[in-house]
Amino acid sequence: MLSAQERARVAQVWDLIAGHEASFGAELLLRLFTVYPSTKSYFKHLGFCPDETQLLTHGQRMLEAVGVAVQHMDNLRAALSPLADLHAQVLRVDPSNFPLLIQCFQVVLASHLQGEFTVEMQAAWDKFLTGVAVVLTEKYR
Amino acid sequence: MVHLTADEKAAVTALWGKVNVDEVGGEALGRLLVVYPWTQRFFDSFGDLSSPDAVMGNAKVKAHGKKVLNSFSDGLKNLDNLKGTFAKLSELHCDKLHVDPENFKLLGNVLVCVLAHHFGKQFTPQGQGAFQKVVAGVANALAHKYH
Repeated sequence: MLSAQERARVAQVWDLIAGHEASFGAELLLRLFTVYPSTKSYFKHLGFCPDETQLLTHGQRMLEAVGVAVQHMDNLRAALSPLADLHAQVLRVDPSNFPLLIQCFQVVLASHLQGEFTVEMQAAWDKFLTGVAVVLTEKYR
Repeated sequence: MVHLTADEKAAVTALWGKVNVDEVGGEALGRLLVVYPWTQRFFDSFGDLSSPDAVMGNAKVKAHGKKVLNSFSDGLKNLDNLKGTFAKLSELHCDKLHVDPENFKLLGNVLVCVLAHHFGKQFTPQGQGAFQKVVAGVANALAHKYH
């Protein structure tokens, strides 16, 4: 459960990302595929070397979903229910991949926000994204 | 053994040359203790860890972080023989310190975040890839002598 302070920090960081969902998302995916090549197995439709347009499009979609999660931190289950269904029935991404995505997310945040990315923000975002991952994999079985 | 391409080795060496090993160690350890508070279980004797500020300012955390990162630095000079380099430390962490090897992965990931925090855009996806390989290699080497 996120405390009020943690929610404020999550929202604070989101304010810095909002409006840049596509470029953040594209960089997130690029880092994920570069650092953890096995994750590309879930993105066959993007090919072995996804181009910038594909990364921007898919990246935007992912970050917009994160934005939905930020708006509904008090009720992630309801807000992310359709996505949870999608992940359980269609995508079936092995749960071990979510920490890899979270690591890359932290690196994107750290490298873009630098000084503004305090330890409290890192802690709040890690907790928040881990919570999102739990909800997305909850219906798997 | 860690398999880095020539480019990756160059990237790691170049970046590491600019790292203030003493400071980054304390920061990485501090962030580990704040972001994953259960890791504090190994540091009962460190005094005040009650808040992020207390942790990041704690002299023992800084000193220990410096020690850990200097060790890590040694690893970087011996990428072809990480298991040998960290054999004694591996035994120590298993037999005396009783540290779950999962913690080595957590610290490695936090260290990568600290590098991203310091280097910003210079910390490219390729650079991150190279460092994640290194921290994974060090984590494996430290777990190698567990029994």
